[in-house]
Amino acid sequence: MFGSNLDAVKSLNSRSRETKIGLAYGLGVPEFICTNPGLVDYLEIPFEQLRHAPHLRSIQESIPLLLHCASMSVAGSVPPSDETLEEIREEAERTRTPWIGEHLAFIAADALETASNTLGTPTALTYTVCPQLSEDAVERVLENVAKLRSRYDVPLILENSPQYFSIPGSTMSMVDFIAAVFSRCDLGLLLDLTHFLITSLNTGTDAFEQLAQLPLERVVEIHISGVNVQSGVAWDDHSIPAPSLVFKLLEHVLDRARPLALTLEYNWSPYFPETILREHIQRLRHLIGRL
Amino acid sequence: MNARRAQAIVAAALARPELLSSWQQEPELLRDYGVDPRIFDLETMWKFVGLMVKVRHNKLRVQLPMTFRLMTIGELEIEVFASYATHQAIAGRSLSDTSEARLTDLLSFLEHWLNFERHEHTLLWDLIRHEEALTRLSAAARLAPKRMAAKSLQQVILNPNHIPRICGDVVLLTMRSDPRIACATLRDTSPQLSEVPLGTFHFCYWRPDDADEINIVELDEVGFYTLSLSSGKRSIGDLSKMFGGGRRPAKQFLDVLRELAAVGVLMFDTKP
Repeated sequence: MFGSNLDAVKSLNSRSRETKIGLAYGLGVPEFICTNPGLVDYLEIPFEQLRHAPHLRSIQESIPLLLHCASMSVAGSVPPSDETLEEIREEAERTRTPWIGEHLAFIAADALETASNTLGTPTALTYTVCPQLSEDAVERVLENVAKLRSRYDVPLILENSPQYFSIPGSTMSMVDFIAAVFSRCDLGLLLDLTHFLITSLNTGTDAFEQLAQLPLERVVEIHISGVNVQSGVAWDDHSIPAPSLVFKLLEHVLDRARPLALTLEYNWSPYFPETILREHIQRLRHLIGRL
Repeated sequence: MNARRAQAIVAAALARPELLSSWQQEPELLRDYGVDPRIFDLETMWKFVGLMVKVRHNKLRVQLPMTFRLMTIGELEIEVFASYATHQAIAGRSLSDTSEARLTDLLSFLEHWLNFERHEHTLLWDLIRHEEALTRLSAAARLAPKRMAAKSLQQVILNPNHIPRICGDVVLLTMRSDPRIACATLRDTSPQLSEVPLGTFHFCYWRPDDADEINIVELDEVGFYTLSLSSGKRSIGDLSKMFGGGRRPAKQFLDVLRELAAVGVLMFDTKP
């Protein structure tokens, strides 16, 4: 589908202030991009995906890539290996990504001594988890971010997590946690509006009221995906379209901020309906005045 | 509790569903780690494991698009994948490497876990087997060399020594719903799963020797068991006896054989 000449890579113009529209990588997405040239401006791709399938780098001959990441465990106490961090740096350089998006979450933690784990091997997860929302965790994030930023030539931006359950010891709300982190460092915010709505639904708060408390002037990128309420909990779901409430939240954000990128995360199912995908891209174009 | 300790306990539970399960059954075990069990939302953590494992099965959506749609509409995904994760972890099994193996593992779990008194569980069991059968036969079509289609022998006068043989590849499934109706329902904007009727259905998923397309043939009980027992070695006389008749087959049984031959799924060899 795509060629392999890596010298001919496309990249996003990091100085442009125009809001770009992109898609998150998933099965079927590269084909959609190929058959709909010019419809989106970039493809957001996870570092972990590129690491696992390096041949995907050639997509960049057709469309600029934006690098996303889930390996840094920014809110955790177990840092990733130097090798991983170096690979992220290399991938950032190779993709010419204007920034690296990472989750304000943890994906690794200290070992828990059990009968079968006596070696103290840290616990590695396959999915990022919302951290304890506390001053202690804020300090940890700031410490980790300070170390991480010095390694990369492009800015790091942090994405709010969806809150499904509260980690014991939490003392603040999600918005207070985000506000505390961003008030003490000059990072950009990757505002996942679906995560934000999920947190509001699961914690019984008003998403619109909470939105007003976020440092929206720091929003660099916005993520949009579906919400699925099951077993009494609202869950992130990239296989279904975002509900209208997410678009309403987006309108509120756009009234106050001008992000550089809007990413539709419809990447869990290769059969996501193309008509809805096109419709949502048009809806975003309309909202940012790019029709 | 500091963040480091709290996150270590949560991560251990999420990474090891068998550990989480033991804490759910006996919360006091958490005191071994110096914490009060009441401060952990173990039930939602267990559901979150369901989300994590569901996401790890996203590649299966290629083979099982309607099964996943059914699980979304029926609000089953979290419950199914959380239970599956716990089941596999307690059995000491990690997730298989390939999509094919993951599908087999999931089917094997569901067969014992589903509650067939629940309408949506019944639909799920039928639909996943329907899509698995289509996947299996499509894979077989890609791998198998094309064979010449057998000439229909329905004109032959059948006798007890003829040996029925299946032409092509078949998967035979008995279901309590018709997955074709379930699929049509799921394509609606607001699918009403309760409107998919239940009953007893016998299906033959059949890929003929000379074709790539897969046919779904609905059979009656005699047709279904005739195909089930047609090993390519048993004669019509043998089959007749297995159905409780004599070696000389009844006319009704011969009619069934002729009908299957007319469809093309069966042909008859003569004993050498």
